[in-house]
Amino acid sequence: MTVWGRRVSGPLRLGVLALVPILIVLVLLLVFPPDGNERAEWAQFIGRFHPLAVHFPIALILLVPILELAGLNSRSAHLRLSAGFVLGLATIGATVAAMLGWCLALSGGYSGPLLTQHMWGGISLAAVCWLCWMLRASANEPRLGLLYATALATGVVLVAWTGYRGGQLSKGEDHLTEYMPAGLRHSLGISNASRAVSSSRANTFYGARVEPIFAERCFTCHGPSKHQANLRLDSYKSLMRGGKDGPVIRAANVQGSDLFRRIALPPGHDDFMPKEGKRPLSSDQVKVIELWIGAGASDTLPADAIKDAPAASASPTLVAEVNFGEIDPVAVTKRRATAAPALAQLQKRFPNILEYESRGSADLLLNASILGPKFGDSDLAVLSPLAEQITVADFSRTAITDRSATAIAAMKRLRVLRFMYTRITDTTLQGLGALDQLESLSVFGTPVTPAALPTVAKLPKLAHFYAGQTAIPIGISVPDALMGKLVF
Amino acid sequence: MMTSDSELRMALVQAQTRRHFLRTIGGGLGTLFVGTSMAKYAGATKDAGHSETSSLDFTRDASSPLAALPPQFAAKVRRVIYLHMAGAPSQLELFEYKPDLKRLDGQDCPASFLAGKRFAFISGVPKLLASQYPFHQVGQSGQWISDRLPYLEKHVDAICFIKSMHTDQFNHAPAQLLVQTGNARLGYASIGSWVLYGLGTENQNLPGFIVLLSGGKSPDGGKQLWSSGFLPSVYQGVQCRSHGEPVLYLDNPPEVSRSLRRSMLDAIDQINQQTYAAFGNPETVTRIAQYEMAFRMQMDATDAMDIRKEPDSVHAMYGSKPGEASFANNCLVARRLAERGVRFIQLYHWGWDSHGADAKEALNLGFADRCREVDQPTAALLADLKERGMLEDTLVVWGGEFGRTPMRENRNGQEMKYVGRDHNPGAFTIWLSGGGVKPGITHGQTDEMGYEIVKDPVEIRDLHATMLYLLGFDHHKLNYSFQGLEQKLTSVKPARIVTEVLA
Repeated sequence: MTVWGRRVSGPLRLGVLALVPILIVLVLLLVFPPDGNERAEWAQFIGRFHPLAVHFPIALILLVPILELAGLNSRSAHLRLSAGFVLGLATIGATVAAMLGWCLALSGGYSGPLLTQHMWGGISLAAVCWLCWMLRASANEPRLGLLYATALATGVVLVAWTGYRGGQLSKGEDHLTEYMPAGLRHSLGISNASRAVSSSRANTFYGARVEPIFAERCFTCHGPSKHQANLRLDSYKSLMRGGKDGPVIRAANVQGSDLFRRIALPPGHDDFMPKEGKRPLSSDQVKVIELWIGAGASDTLPADAIKDAPAASASPTLVAEVNFGEIDPVAVTKRRATAAPALAQLQKRFPNILEYESRGSADLLLNASILGPKFGDSDLAVLSPLAEQITVADFSRTAITDRSATAIAAMKRLRVLRFMYTRITDTTLQGLGALDQLESLSVFGTPVTPAALPTVAKLPKLAHFYAGQTAIPIGISVPDALMGKLVF
Repeated sequence: MMTSDSELRMALVQAQTRRHFLRTIGGGLGTLFVGTSMAKYAGATKDAGHSETSSLDFTRDASSPLAALPPQFAAKVRRVIYLHMAGAPSQLELFEYKPDLKRLDGQDCPASFLAGKRFAFISGVPKLLASQYPFHQVGQSGQWISDRLPYLEKHVDAICFIKSMHTDQFNHAPAQLLVQTGNARLGYASIGSWVLYGLGTENQNLPGFIVLLSGGKSPDGGKQLWSSGFLPSVYQGVQCRSHGEPVLYLDNPPEVSRSLRRSMLDAIDQINQQTYAAFGNPETVTRIAQYEMAFRMQMDATDAMDIRKEPDSVHAMYGSKPGEASFANNCLVARRLAERGVRFIQLYHWGWDSHGADAKEALNLGFADRCREVDQPTAALLADLKERGMLEDTLVVWGGEFGRTPMRENRNGQEMKYVGRDHNPGAFTIWLSGGGVKPGITHGQTDEMGYEIVKDPVEIRDLHATMLYLLGFDHHKLNYSFQGLEQKLTSVKPARIVTEVLA
């Protein structure tokens, strides 16, 4: 292989090949710079491995000067032999990490100066590694030795700098100095603005009223772990600095504050925050922010300075959002396994009225009322293999009689049981004593009498007993356990 | 000269177009690929009825497209009765108690109410209009309600009012379409169709989605309101009449016996099956299923719709009179259908468009009649469901397609002879009652005039997402691939389940 008219050696040839991916990443960074918008599942999925992969090249790059320095001692000179190999690995590792980093930045909604610095740090590092690797391969020329040492030193500085920027991106800008002891902080001249707010949070309107709203509703996307649109609301300083489109709060100018504009829009609006169907801020929360901006958006304003601010609720009324769990098909199949053959057979006999409660459940719902008088005691008897799987059973208008009492009593996990307009009597109800899961029982339009009440009263979970149009008179005095549960 | 047989074969060959060929071969290759590469997963996923894609598996045997399927998650309700008050009833005369509006009655409406707004009829500067009826508090929940609903007010503790409904349509037809199909344009599937598609129906002798009309006029949105849109047409609503034959031409003509009808259907089925085998168009299956259902319905539908079988006490309770086309009759039919396992029962009652252009549209005349027509039957329906225990697993929805303005309508800028209000898409009231819904509460709030929402706005798609949640579905997962999009009832904008109204 020839490069610039010279025949190059084995490692150099490999090195020229390794330059190609570095250049590709460089082109990607220039053509598709991260813009703060979240997108593409795949790119983000891959990108999430960036923090994992990045530590590999870091360790390797730091290892190289150690090997080189330790190898200066003649007794451990053999260590220097591996330095070239480690450099090669570091170059590849840094390139892969840069590639993953680009994926993460582009699709994970990152942007801003921090990211730009980290990004260029990372790609430069890959390039410097490559340079070191190449220089070392031809380090037998003495004038290149000095150049190699300089490049290696640059690499180490770059690792530290890029790593620190990366840490700031993921852990917060003051992640190293946040818990620095005050004395040391003072002698180093580092301000502790964000800590100051939290120590006086209860006294200031910002700390007591405004920041908790951001913490509850905004930090997920604009906080320590994510800085979408390069906007962070987790410290007063970063809040006032704003995001990629400039400041979001303009003191005493409510209408000119982009943050307020977005939370006050109608929820369907494209600019509305919080995004993507997340619960809008409550009107009280919007009001608090509006009043605070109107009063100058200061972080020193006393907590009780704004008289007509909505009262802070003692416990924030967090309304749980619905989280749909995933259905695990293997677990479901396993749970259903025992009763599945019997069910398959019985579903042929009772199509559409014998079904699982849900896609993820092994419990069964039975609606025999659809068959009406065509469903009788003998049909009910056939269902006995599934007795313990049935949790909801409706026998309304069927031809079942007290002869089914035992079969129904065997359905021990019933939650809902309906007998409307059937011929069942107290006998059946008196056999239901063991249904300790039963919550709702309807005997509407049956010949049931008050004699059934003692048994019904003992059902521990029963919440409603529908006894209209039976021999149980309206206004009957019932056992205490049935108080408020009888419905006519 | 071709024989009829070769003529038929020729026609078949010609019917096999390039598109058919490409579709078949594409599908065939795809099936081959999926069959080989996915074989190892098949065992695990088939039994669980779960697919790895973002949609659930709604495939059914071609001969029973309405077969019951379990919901995605344990459902709170198993059926819906939707009472749509077509024309948009005034929330300010029924549920929205606004004392400040009374104080400002007759004054010019503030300019801020008019800036940037479009109205159907209001022009110039209209006057504010106080509620035409007195309000009082009822029930343990202390809800404010007007004196127009004396029967319904006994049930307020079982009702959840959403007073912050919001729509972006201010004309009846598109607004009704939005409420019923999730989209203001034609061609989308109605809620009932989605529910039927997702859950099927337990009673194969009745349609799973039945529509009943009253009020003397069809809703403006027409049959599109219960259309299946892009879903197979077997899931569309079946409009039934509340007197006479429930479905026109359902009965056999004179001289045609049931067995003759059966053999006729068998012959038609055979031909349809051949057509389906040749072309694979799901609409052919729909056709077969519809014929079969019509045959089964001849017995059951007539029985279900026949309210003459109800005792007098029930008629007294509903105010129903057999033979009339009334909302009362329809409510009673709705209860009978619910008992028979019908999945989605949709009622429309026309006549709430109280502009004040004539006596029928006047808030103090026609509106009061509408209230009388719906009050007693709605209350009776709730009471009936409740005493049977069925309100536990039924969702009742009551409401129009938008709200009405706190300003008196002044068509052409003139004071009108009758009192009325214009359309207000900015805020309206819908109420829910039944399983999974928190009873006796009000969600959302409008300003002192009842004009705009000031707290907890609820979009139509949020209501839909909430309804589907109660029926056991994540609204994202109840979808159908059409035109390159996984179509959903809640459309593409983010929808939120209104957790505040969930029990």
